[in-house]
Amino acid sequence: MIIFSERINGMYRDVRGAIAERNKSVIHQLAEAQLAGGADVMDINIGPTKGDPVEHFVWLAQTVHEVTDKPLSLDSAKADLLVQAVPRVKEALPDTKLVINSCTAAPQYMEKLIPLAAATGSAIIGLTMDQEGVPGNVEKRIECGATFLMTALEAGIPIDDIYMDTIVLPVNAAMKQQVHVIEAIRQLAIVNDPPPRFIVGLSNVSTKCLKNRLLNRTFLVMCLASGLNAAIVDAADRDLVEAMITAEILLGKQLYSDDYIKAWRMQKGLPVSAEAAEAEVV
Amino acid sequence: MAIPELKERWAGRINPVTIGATRAGGGTRGRTITVGGQMGIPYLDFDGQTPNPPVIALDVLDQAPADWPAPLAEVYRDVWSDPAAWAVRAKQLGADLINLRLVSTHPDEGDRSPAEAAATVRAVLEAVDLPLIIWGCDVPAKDQMVMPKVAEAAQGENCLLGAVTEGDYRTLAAAAQAYGHKLIALAPCDINKQKQVNILVSDTGFPLEDVVIYPTTAALGYGMEYVYSILERGRLAALAGDRLMAQPVILDVGYEAWRTKEARSGDEVAATWGKAAQRGPAWEAVTAADLLQGGADILVMRHPAAVEAVRKLTRDLVGESAMAAAG
Repeated sequence: MIIFSERINGMYRDVRGAIAERNKSVIHQLAEAQLAGGADVMDINIGPTKGDPVEHFVWLAQTVHEVTDKPLSLDSAKADLLVQAVPRVKEALPDTKLVINSCTAAPQYMEKLIPLAAATGSAIIGLTMDQEGVPGNVEKRIECGATFLMTALEAGIPIDDIYMDTIVLPVNAAMKQQVHVIEAIRQLAIVNDPPPRFIVGLSNVSTKCLKNRLLNRTFLVMCLASGLNAAIVDAADRDLVEAMITAEILLGKQLYSDDYIKAWRMQKGLPVSAEAAEAEVV
Repeated sequence: MAIPELKERWAGRINPVTIGATRAGGGTRGRTITVGGQMGIPYLDFDGQTPNPPVIALDVLDQAPADWPAPLAEVYRDVWSDPAAWAVRAKQLGADLINLRLVSTHPDEGDRSPAEAAATVRAVLEAVDLPLIIWGCDVPAKDQMVMPKVAEAAQGENCLLGAVTEGDYRTLAAAAQAYGHKLIALAPCDINKQKQVNILVSDTGFPLEDVVIYPTTAALGYGMEYVYSILERGRLAALAGDRLMAQPVILDVGYEAWRTKEARSGDEVAATWGKAAQRGPAWEAVTAADLLQGGADILVMRHPAAVEAVRKLTRDLVGESAMAAAG
């Protein structure tokens, strides 16, 4: 599974403060913790930080890039902001792969962001919703997802650069939606051969829930079993990452060995700590 | 409508591993042998390259074998009481490498000392300039004494030493690393154990790029298809990016093929079985040919007729030009 790290987000007060004060060390530390946990893509979101959002994005991207060459996912619900920020970040970091996170299937979003992805060689995350909002069922998710997928493919975006996000909502507010998310992944996977990638913003499922980490990792495993292959998660949550690794073993995506968690870390070039090795014995 | 692209794009690659060292590399070999490096399924050259064709190592034992059947005895009897002379014969028969088995160090087979084993290794190194694969006697307690001495005696020659297992890997890995040799990692027909052995070897600090894996071998009619499926599954995992399975493979074809009753029986069996002189080599050749397709990189063999048949097949699979390029 491709791990998008979720932690560098202006919704968190420490990140918001760091962006406003241009405090690099806070961002560096957070990024390094996510990388140590196995992050593959660094999602960055400026949140409601005051000031010039485009400059914030460029600063945040450059600051994260100072500790890693990994792809950056520029996260905003505002298409107009992404239209301005993505070219600026690409100009500042020409060799870094970008992911546009995200674009709905509404025409006014797709006509701005899909050509932007094609022009900058970026990947793009398509939400299975349109101008009418988040669908309350599977069917509308499929319809929006298929529309987005076909539009992106026609624009020449490679299938490996297209992510579909079937939109996770909090379980304490929308109880039936989790099943819809899973079923939509399953059905969208057969719309195109080869299929696009599937991603979720995982921690949405547990917003304002008491047992949020347990909810997150349990739902992640369920989604993986349905075909999910990327997720925006807290890569520093070791229980969650280990549940993910275990699910991929049980799904036959990785070869089992007794030290399979250590194997996963070795493959990623991550340090295999004595503490981690000990935890596996239990 | 456009024709869909059916080529696979693999993320992984089999590690290239070089055995032997010339003078330039600090040894005394006439040439080195490199195996591995594949970037696709065996011999599907449109999928990915096979930069190093499979190689053949011929068996040399450190004492005269008691039970080799007539077709093998005819080839080796006059030299098999002298490992150095036997190695020369193996080179004359076209071996890429010498596969030296220190069977006489076995407590029940002569129990020769580590020093005697080291002397044998030195004698073989002096007799031929081919790269060496060296095995102990498969008794861990004895091998732990013999193999470090052997590794020291062959220092700088970049030999391939066998074999570490899940239960017994520290001594040999340390000896191989200390004296500059490559290592064989053994897991009997179990891909999950194979991965585990590789993790354990890596834990000792030995580089996985210097490991050749040995999933054991089974002959035609005796479970060969299990080994084939292990090879296939491991190769697919490696090509999909599993670095812990990205090692070239060695298979002990000669030993297994010549254990079968089909290869061993003489002309006294049913006439429909054919003559022993052809039957045994054919059994060895067919076993090798099948396992080659699963991704074997080093075939340990015995009979020259089988070697010739496998050479011809290899040329057909990779092409004359690739064979010539590989030297």
